[in-house]
Amino acid sequence: MFMSSPAEWHVDLLEIAQKCVYCGYCSLCPTFKELKWETYHPRGILEQIRMYFSEGVKESVQVEVSKSLFEAIFACTMCKACENICLVDLPLLKVWEQVRQEAFRKGRWNPLLLSLYNKVKSTHNIYGLPTEERLAWANLAGMNMSRRTKKKAPLAFFVGCQASYSGKMGNVAPSVVKILRKTKVNFTILGLDEWCCGSPVFLAGGYSAGRDFAKHNLDQLKELGVERIVTACSGCYRAFKIVYPRVLGEKWDIEVLHITELAEELIKNGKLKLKHSIKEKITFKDPCELVRHCGLVEAPREVIKQIPNVRFEELPSNKHEALCCGGGGLLKLNDSDLVNQVNSRLVSEIKYTEAEIVANGCPTCKDTILTGVKNDNLDVEVLDISELIVRAMEGEK
Amino acid sequence: MTLKKNTRISFTRHLGKNFKDDYTTLQVYSRDMADLPKLVKPFIGNVPDGVIQVRTKEDMQKIYEIANETKVPITQRGGGTAGFGGSVPYKKGIVVDTKGLEYHFLVDPLELTVTINPSVVFSDLQRQLNLEGFSLCSYPSSFHSATVGGWIAHGGYGVGSIQYGGAKEQIAALEVVLPTGEIKRFTDDTELSLFVGSHGTLGTITEVALKIKFDIPLKHQGCTFDSPAELLKGLKYLAEIEPFSIWFLNPDHVALFNELFGYNLPLSYLAIISKEVSFEEEEKEFNTLFNNAIRSSGGQILDRRYINDIWDFRFKGFTLIGDSPDYLVTEVILPIETSDKFVRKLVSRFRGKIHLEGEMVSPTHYALLIYLLFEEKLSEIKKTILTLKLYNVTTRKTKAKGIPYSTGLWFSGYYSRIYGKEQYKQYLEFKRKVDPKNISNPGKVISPKIRFLPIIKLKPIVKLASKMML
Ligand SMILES: Cc1cc2nc3c(=O)[nH]c(=O)nc-3n(C[C@H](O)[C@H](O)[C@H](O)COP(=O)(O)OP(=O)(O)OC[C@H]3O[C@@H](n4cnc5c(N)ncnc54)[C@H](O)[C@@H]3O)c2cc1C
Ligand code: SF4
Ligand code: SF4
Repeated sequence: MFMSSPAEWHVDLLEIAQKCVYCGYCSLCPTFKELKWETYHPRGILEQIRMYFSEGVKESVQVEVSKSLFEAIFACTMCKACENICLVDLPLLKVWEQVRQEAFRKGRWNPLLLSLYNKVKSTHNIYGLPTEERLAWANLAGMNMSRRTKKKAPLAFFVGCQASYSGKMGNVAPSVVKILRKTKVNFTILGLDEWCCGSPVFLAGGYSAGRDFAKHNLDQLKELGVERIVTACSGCYRAFKIVYPRVLGEKWDIEVLHITELAEELIKNGKLKLKHSIKEKITFKDPCELVRHCGLVEAPREVIKQIPNVRFEELPSNKHEALCCGGGGLLKLNDSDLVNQVNSRLVSEIKYTEAEIVANGCPTCKDTILTGVKNDNLDVEVLDISELIVRAMEGEK
Repeated sequence: MTLKKNTRISFTRHLGKNFKDDYTTLQVYSRDMADLPKLVKPFIGNVPDGVIQVRTKEDMQKIYEIANETKVPITQRGGGTAGFGGSVPYKKGIVVDTKGLEYHFLVDPLELTVTINPSVVFSDLQRQLNLEGFSLCSYPSSFHSATVGGWIAHGGYGVGSIQYGGAKEQIAALEVVLPTGEIKRFTDDTELSLFVGSHGTLGTITEVALKIKFDIPLKHQGCTFDSPAELLKGLKYLAEIEPFSIWFLNPDHVALFNELFGYNLPLSYLAIISKEVSFEEEEKEFNTLFNNAIRSSGGQILDRRYINDIWDFRFKGFTLIGDSPDYLVTEVILPIETSDKFVRKLVSRFRGKIHLEGEMVSPTHYALLIYLLFEEKLSEIKKTILTLKLYNVTTRKTKAKGIPYSTGLWFSGYYSRIYGKEQYKQYLEFKRKVDPKNISNPGKVISPKIRFLPIIKLKPIVKLASKMML
């Protein structure tokens, strides 16, 4: 199978690698900070790209370099911190994705990654679970979603694989539904016809395969007359906001909202009222895919600000400088110890704020932070922001 | 792999997976910010035989022990950002990457010091200090990538140096593993001086007690000058108001700002002056002093709209060169009093190509970062020629009395020009005592003999070649 990215997304790897001025600013890379070898430093990866893709490079050298290059490329969480700080604005994320594709072409994916890739392709969810279980979250929450499933509506709630299937995310989807119901928003869900947004496939560099996912979801949404889509998952959000327009072009004309953006809008037009105070001190972890990939900064803060008497403290590294939780870029499949190492820096920052609740807007962050605070015996509640909104809306734990 | 089998075994036995010598790792560690011109590489053993992530000072003792036994040179590397080749091996051997050193962070609020591992990057350290209400005093503009140890060993200056001094003035104490294997703590000023700018040739810094200050907000002002002469006159007046920083750009560099950000800054010499200001009265006083200084020196006050944006760009000078197909960079330290002619000549010699960024490093001297930007990719020969020409311009004994910024590989042999003959004597004495086999970063400070041509030294070659090219 051949994987490719759309032409306009394609970059000349060698040219970009040669443009690096070697300033080293990208040493803030969360995984380089742990692994410390220069071969994992983004500029070191570019140096390896220079060696690997140079004209006339000997095959033996290419094989040798590829060992270290492909290892480094899959140690990346795709947090985009390097691209954001790059002194000469190199499009590093595109570079990392293309190198992952090269690894695929060379049959050099880690088996777990390959298995995820195949699972997503055959079952349309990241867990390889039966499609029939996609609505299990609603049953478990005692919610009857039949009136909302595949109905014509201007807004669709895209649940996402993690909120649909993972027990740890059990409250996320019901919370979003509670917000939508309470504010009388006319919405629909795709139910069993919802496919994974394709994020893991795109992250692994699989554009041709990912395009099928994008096309399927678009067709479903169009059938229902959907004009806006809301999600509580930053991975789905990024896919819809950045990748779908790339792979579907102008056909993708659906407005994409994160739950915090919708909540902010509903608060502004008086439909959503956060009446109940939350006595615990709150902090917010900006998910990389929201803040650095998509530039979403203010909406979560605007929403949290509306909680009566809220005690909110920013993490020391916040907004565009937020630390990565370690869970992105499919790193869990490549090196779960490294995820924990990266995560421990975030946990120290959470500790520093003395917050009792850490809110976030991404199931992957939630999952990773949950593990981190458990490992650290830290007494802090980890909530998706939709759960926090419901708590302030309904006043109960 | 050119390490002898037994030597390699010694390293791997003691350092385990912290020793690597695969092809890719060795290549990646064969350069720092400024890659060596291809034509020069054959004369320099810049590709190491092995790389070690040193974790503890005991590791470092062991490394020196093996290095002494086997006469394998070691080269320390911090962030690899110095661009003078200090962290690039000259005679192959082992690169010791300090990034792996154990983490320390201990603030002494009474003494106003922080004790840290030397591999900490400035921006990380500043963030941690700010969280506790403190701040670094002076730091390089490679804030996001340089390590504290690298900056000290390279003998740097930076933002805040006009008020708080350069790397040397920031140090309260250093713990060093000497090439003899002895671990020693230095607090005496004369001894500390020896480790500043000596590029690890006297040992490896494993702990630093750095002076810190309370985190006081900065206020910025900006002004412009029509000529280098006016700029230098202005700098003299501005230095008298005891600022935290004075940073300036030449008109070509300002033009890039305009182009990149859609600004409409006047195409003159532009300076941004910053001062620590704790309360309103101080700010008023700063404004008055600033206005007086500008009036006396014949400058113009810059539209305030731009000032904060330009200051925020403080650490991003390189962004401006991003689109150039090729470029060369070097840095020199100059006295304000005597450098007018030098700057004028420099600008006219490289007209249209030259971009200057200056930072006052003391009330009388400034560091001048010189970028040459080219509209086409340079051939290797041309690049080598221009590199030598640029080095010649910055090292020549001009009436400007300029000095190279640091020694490293490129300016090795210039130590006494920078630090004086007396200090060089002390340096040599210390070096003989602690590193008789010259295994700690050879080729730096003391001018090396070119490999394959062992009778010719690098310094005269650079000089000769550059004379021929000019
Ligand atoms: C964008 C940019 C801006 C810059 N601005 C400035 C500036 O304002 N001021 C300035 O001075 N420089 C500046 N530089 C140059 C450089 O970043 C600094 O000099 C920096 O301090 C070097 O630190 P490093 O950790 O990268 O050191 P490296 O380049 O890794 O090493 C420098 C020297 O120190 C030695 N060394 C490293 N660690 C140790 C140790 N633990 N013990 C003993 N020896 C050691 C190395 O062998 C080498 O000789 C700039 C560079 C860039 C890219
Ligand atoms: S995207 Fe994040 S993890 Fe990946 S190389 Fe860049 S900084 Fe490192
Ligand atoms: S920040 Fe950009 S230019 Fe600087 S070293 Fe990293 S990739 Fe290269």
